[in-house]
Amino acid sequence: MTNVKLRDLPVRDMGTLFGLVLIFATFAFVSPIFMESRNLVNILQQSSINACIAIGMTLIIISGGIDLSVGPVAALSAVISASMLAAGVPPWIGMLAGLAVGISCGVVNGVLIAYGGLQPFIVTLGTLSIYRALALIYTGGNPVLNIPSEFRSWFGNSLAGLPMPVIIVCIVSALAWVLLRKTPIGEYLLAVGGNEEAARIAGVPVALTKVTAYAISGGLASLAAMIVVARLGAAEPILGNLWELEAIAAAAIGGASLLGGKGGIVGTLLGAIILGAMRNGLTLLNVQAFYQLLATGLVILLAMLVDRLTRGRA
Amino acid sequence: MQITKWTHVRRHSLAMAFALLGCVSLSSFAQTLKPLDSDREPDRIEWWQVSEKLGALPKAKPGVKVGAVAKTLTNEYWRLLGDGYKKAGDKAGVTVDLQAAQSEGDQLGQLAIAENMLSKGYSVLLVSPQSDANLQPAVDAAAKAKVPVVNVNDAVIPLAEHYIGNVQRDNGVRAARWFVQNKPAGGKIAVIEGMAGVYAAVQRTEGFKATLGKESTKFKVVASVPGNWDRQLSYDTATNILQQNPDLVGFYCNNDTMALGVVEAVKAAGKLAQVTVIGTDGIGDAYKSILAGELTGTIDSFPVLTGEVALDVSLRLLAGQKVPRVVATPQALITKQNYSRYKGDEAAQRKALIEDAKSGAK
Repeated sequence: MTNVKLRDLPVRDMGTLFGLVLIFATFAFVSPIFMESRNLVNILQQSSINACIAIGMTLIIISGGIDLSVGPVAALSAVISASMLAAGVPPWIGMLAGLAVGISCGVVNGVLIAYGGLQPFIVTLGTLSIYRALALIYTGGNPVLNIPSEFRSWFGNSLAGLPMPVIIVCIVSALAWVLLRKTPIGEYLLAVGGNEEAARIAGVPVALTKVTAYAISGGLASLAAMIVVARLGAAEPILGNLWELEAIAAAAIGGASLLGGKGGIVGTLLGAIILGAMRNGLTLLNVQAFYQLLATGLVILLAMLVDRLTRGRA
Repeated sequence: MQITKWTHVRRHSLAMAFALLGCVSLSSFAQTLKPLDSDREPDRIEWWQVSEKLGALPKAKPGVKVGAVAKTLTNEYWRLLGDGYKKAGDKAGVTVDLQAAQSEGDQLGQLAIAENMLSKGYSVLLVSPQSDANLQPAVDAAAKAKVPVVNVNDAVIPLAEHYIGNVQRDNGVRAARWFVQNKPAGGKIAVIEGMAGVYAAVQRTEGFKATLGKESTKFKVVASVPGNWDRQLSYDTATNILQQNPDLVGFYCNNDTMALGVVEAVKAAGKLAQVTVIGTDGIGDAYKSILAGELTGTIDSFPVLTGEVALDVSLRLLAGQKVPRVVATPQALITKQNYSRYKGDEAAQRKALIEDAKSGAK
């Protein structure tokens, strides 16, 4: 069963890629500056945060779960790490602390789901409130400012014309792809999401696999938070509002099935870029925000229909 | 300001060269500017003094395009601000494009819009940031492209070179003074705050509580809870507060949408005569409610006028005029009693606001 799915994934990715090319071609046709390299770099940069979150989300969705708490996890790790940075802690320690907070939040989600036997949607809905509350309580609602420039420059640099966030996301994607396609963990994720009972009988460590997925998602949420903090020079407790929905949208456009067992890193990346390109192009065309929202919704549904057609019977 | 900036660059040209080598973002350019405190910035001017001090608005060069990034269009306040931009833009014969984020909390989305508008090549950018920090990268990029950026209202970008707007804290101060002056007997008060952690909400609430505590001993704030700018949530919250404090005398709400929800709750509890509700913003529905004798008052910050002032100032900047860093725009607490003074035709409104400012009325 898994083999069949692995074989038809590239076809699905080709479909997403085709959609991306179509969107780019349309915008390039109507807006002369859309294809300028500066604008293309803009699109990648603006998609990178969502892509980073969406990669973690994809791993969880493949395992049959969902993580609604990514935004608040990002906010909590951002404010904790930023307070340490502002207090003069060496930047790399501040960053590691932020990542540790994110991974811990993910582990809490995973343990409640895998060992507590609770539904992922409900658990992460609960922690969505809890982590947001902790971030607000910790800061009293105020942003943390005075981020040292050394830390900011780590993520503000460019390499070969590509902004650091884009490069980081490329590396993260490559690692996630290897994890999913070349390691046992990837097989476990697909197996657990495809048929949990069968996986358990076949000897897959189901609980551990789930906790791992949520820990990775938490870690990636805090990595995205570090990028945002460095870019904005401030950490806000309200950061990350609605990130979960954007990430789910990217994964879904990229072919992940919310029933589990299906999804891929390449597709999700393309999905994130599609969403970023839509926003960019529609802004260049001076389309008002309400219609941008409408267009995004239509693209998601269209992608689902294409999914249905290319896959045949689901 | 421009001059100090460039000497700074020359003095530190070596450091700058290294910075450029690393392609570090050019935020260090602006760092000679002191972080902006729009309340106390000495380099400021009142909105009605702009044409007195700087003369008539110079004619805009052909092809001038103004880009505006609003906070969101789901709140009438920001649509009215946009109307102000367009109105002044039409008068001056320049095109104005208005874009906005999809929701009040969509900070990165707003940043993306600002960056995208920059690459489209506008002559000047008017921005109303969602938070102090979220548009900073776009401001840096604009400085690099030599596009002036004007921060219009709400959140204050610390390194903003130009800020136009009212003082958020002052909003709460006015509401508190109204209670002190009009409810001399004092009593229990509740505050319905905006989204937790949002600049305007924090400042307004803080100004209200501090002033109320300082200028009177007779009031007690029994509840101060977020209504998240949401009508329904504020209705429910107000219902609970009224149940717990049947002798409550007033609500202060961080915006009109919430105030209108609170008014409904007060009405349902049959306490319209006892409980005063003060809102903020001055949207159309709020005035309908005020004239109907339900909402007591709203602190209007005159979004259309603010938009016109902002566009006027941005065109002056493009024409090379030197405008003070902060241009303060008006606010007034409007009730049924003084409605006609402020909400008649535009000329009368301007006259009334200038009179207020000159007499130092608060």
